[in-house]
Amino acid sequence: MMNRRQALRTGSLVAVGGVTLAGPAIAGGAEQPFRHGVASGDPLPDSVLLWTRLTPSADATPGSGRGGESIVGWEVAHDADFRRVAARGRVRTGPQRDHTVKADVTALDPDTWYYYRFSWRGSTSPVGRTRTAPAVGSEVARLRFGVVSCSNWQAGHFAAYRHLAERGDLDLVIHLGDYLYEYGAESGAVRPHDPPVEMTTLEHYRRRHAQYKTDPALQALHAAAPFAVTWDDHESANNAWAGGAENHTEPDEGTWVERRAKSQQAYAEWMPVRYEPGGKLYRRLTFGSLAELSMLDLRSYRSEQVAHPFDGGVHDDERTITGKEQLDWLTSGLTTATSQWKLVGNSVMISPVQFPSTLNTRELEAIADVVGPIEGVPYNVDQWDGYTSDRAAVLRSLRDHGVSGAVFLTGDIHSGWATELPADPLTYPLSGDSVATELVCTSVTSDNIDDYLNLPPRTLSLVVEAVIKLANPHVKYLDFDSHGFSVLEVTPAHVRMDWFRLADRADPASAAEVTASYRVPAGTDRLERTPRSMDGVTPRHEAATGHELAAARRQALARQEAR
Amino acid sequence: MTDETITPGAADDVSRRRFLRVATTAGAAVVLSTTAGVPAVSASPAGAKDLRVYVLVVDGLRPDEIDPHATPHLYALRAEGTNFPQARSLPVMETLPNHVMMMTGVRPDRSGVPANDVYDRHEGAVRTLDRPSDIRVPTLLERLAGTGRVSGSVLSKEYLYTIFGERASVRWEPEPLIPITDHAPDLATKLALSAMVDETDPDLVFVNLGDVDRVGHADLTGTSLGLLRAAALGATDAHVGRFVSELRDRGLWESSVVMVIADHSMDWSHGHKLISLQAPLESDDSLADKVAIAQNGGADLLTFIGPDSERSAAVERMRSIALATPGVLSVHRPEELRLAPDCADLVVYCKAGWRFSDPTPISNPIPGNHGHPATEPIPFFVAGGHRRVRKGVTSSASATTVDVAPTVGELFGLPPLVGGYDGEIRAEALFSREE
Repeated sequence: MMNRRQALRTGSLVAVGGVTLAGPAIAGGAEQPFRHGVASGDPLPDSVLLWTRLTPSADATPGSGRGGESIVGWEVAHDADFRRVAARGRVRTGPQRDHTVKADVTALDPDTWYYYRFSWRGSTSPVGRTRTAPAVGSEVARLRFGVVSCSNWQAGHFAAYRHLAERGDLDLVIHLGDYLYEYGAESGAVRPHDPPVEMTTLEHYRRRHAQYKTDPALQALHAAAPFAVTWDDHESANNAWAGGAENHTEPDEGTWVERRAKSQQAYAEWMPVRYEPGGKLYRRLTFGSLAELSMLDLRSYRSEQVAHPFDGGVHDDERTITGKEQLDWLTSGLTTATSQWKLVGNSVMISPVQFPSTLNTRELEAIADVVGPIEGVPYNVDQWDGYTSDRAAVLRSLRDHGVSGAVFLTGDIHSGWATELPADPLTYPLSGDSVATELVCTSVTSDNIDDYLNLPPRTLSLVVEAVIKLANPHVKYLDFDSHGFSVLEVTPAHVRMDWFRLADRADPASAAEVTASYRVPAGTDRLERTPRSMDGVTPRHEAATGHELAAARRQALARQEAR
Repeated sequence: MTDETITPGAADDVSRRRFLRVATTAGAAVVLSTTAGVPAVSASPAGAKDLRVYVLVVDGLRPDEIDPHATPHLYALRAEGTNFPQARSLPVMETLPNHVMMMTGVRPDRSGVPANDVYDRHEGAVRTLDRPSDIRVPTLLERLAGTGRVSGSVLSKEYLYTIFGERASVRWEPEPLIPITDHAPDLATKLALSAMVDETDPDLVFVNLGDVDRVGHADLTGTSLGLLRAAALGATDAHVGRFVSELRDRGLWESSVVMVIADHSMDWSHGHKLISLQAPLESDDSLADKVAIAQNGGADLLTFIGPDSERSAAVERMRSIALATPGVLSVHRPEELRLAPDCADLVVYCKAGWRFSDPTPISNPIPGNHGHPATEPIPFFVAGGHRRVRKGVTSSASATTVDVAPTVGELFGLPPLVGGYDGEIRAEALFSREE
């Protein structure tokens, strides 16, 4: 039987359903009533959520509030020709939800590929492909997930999504947040945001979501596999917390409560996620006995970030990044899980990272630009480092209960990392005992160090990375420069991640190469570099030669000795 | 070379024991005992036997300690067969209950052995469950012997030898015993195993290798370097490697299933992280002199020994005192953990990196401990050259120590225990008979 990758290459799926690569053009052009594509998400063993947006009339543009009520039909079939229909139904939509459509299709078979499409007044949407989760407790030999974060429209094109869509071997795509950005149109942007202003109103948020959903590569990826998403801060505003955000100004931009509610409403409308305003975004998906995926919400309940890393508040047990209810849900889930791999969709890094004093001012400033400086101090108190009490509670519960196989999948920081989470930081350098691992995907497009330093990639950054790895022995892999995507493979024997780097984020047709591959062998909670990627390619590790990496390490050691 | 003598059994005529003195390749003599009237030597010629099962318990081994450098033989053996990386020990994560679960296939509320040490209500004292009568259900060892096959036990620890008593067709009494640890070194255990296989060729041998655990308990560098532990791991791994080589050299490999498992894992604590519940319980007026504590390393079993009329309130008081004590992780009623209700009123677990020391803070000076949930993860893999062993498989199944008996039983075609097993046949590791 032809597999998905072969089908895409031969174009047969495009021919039968207009699913993927050419997006709206194949789907019928800008006048097509389903011009924002189709998507699916949050697969369960017997159900999956389907999504689209109807444009019922020319004036019913996203965010406009115009256009009438409509009934949209949906179909789910075992085949791309829809000869074997498994389920069908109808959903009402209208301007009150920006004409977005969500259908939770139930009574499906577990661990099964399905095709789906929408229809309205004789028009048919592009065809999407989705997959239900394996039955609870069932044996699963392998899962493959795309892992992405930080896709800033203005910073480039989404070639990373196109590469993932073309793979054809993904059961799910995990988006770890910063799916879109709130900023207004910036001069020099690869492509400008719409609306051109910072999004603060419901209309803004809806229009921005709609703009992103016109990207052909994003449409192709949504059509190719179900998503599991969580938000980070930029879906509302930079460095958001429960009571505000760094990029929110009251009263000029209204109250934070109102602004956040609008961002969340638009998110619920425009994303294929089992979330509705007022509900909880954090949730857990299971994949037989092999894996479960806990998707966290680290913005809605968190305390305000402290001003700088020397503020003792980072250790204050009254401050939280998860909120108590979510923390209890997470720790009790991790300690009672029956699945082998406990994957955690985690929008910001949980690994402790210390930035050593052997970095110079320029390097520190560049890192600060990436990690989000708080009052100019280059230490990321926006991630779990700023909420050490909650982190200790999570790691402590893993250790106390002998939990093995916890893997944090993280975005946010526009760089690729593979780290171990020390059981005891004091003894880790000797014992190497680790209670979990963290795999951080880089940004689809958002800026990182070479962009800020305005230097060629893999030059000065190599030294910065070597310095950080020397100061943080649990950091096994770090790439501060690359943009791209990751692919995660989960089997009973290991969890492994391959990191892919785009040649040029400004090029929608950019090539990609694999630049790292690490695995967590079952039962170890430790990282191991693998000589070949899961596609059988030898990675150009850390996008540098062995000589360049050795030279960078020598420079880092020299700095350390010079102190 | 074998010498055979017969002596009267210590307790009754039924257990008249025969002794086999076996010369080993190392020149030492190993003494095996058998029971009169029970076949002690396999009737089948070595070449004709279709199935041999060796259950090797590497006592206290952590799954993350198996790696290509420190334990190359275990690593290779694991890669050859079916590995269960999710495997766990079961409460209480101690040696005796988990060995008994392995050989019975039932949880402690049926087997009768919930911990190493319990407060015996009939005797009014805390004691080690080391008597044959402490196991209340038949084990694989005598059930298999009852079918005319030969079972063997090679158990390095004195209390394991005594609790399993004369259940196996042929036994090795551990010697020389190391003072304090009460176990025989793995070198002696391995020699005994080889001698038993050479001499009597049992269908099933249940083996406990105690060095990794015993050295781990005492390793003062356990929280960091684990120097002693690493040395023990390497030595024990070599013994396993030699045994496997012998099976291959003797042409037994194709008929062998080698199941490697640990009874529990190991966790190390610093000197200041110890919990002594005796003092806070004694300082409570309603509990003074009314609580017996059976200390099991990472778990304390608390029994109220005052009047029954006070029990309910007293147990709640014990619970709140325990939960308020630094280092305590959780408190459970025995039935929550599938332990017999009469084994204790409460089971108290410590956090990782802590240990109990009762009745006094100097009662438990050893840094390495187990019994608490941090010590649940264990290695468990099924290897061997037998045609039914699946090769190169890793399974997500939640395997546990109680699965050993159903799995071994299935291999031998034994019917389940009366009342059924609590464990599961780990079919993930086995081709069906028809395949």
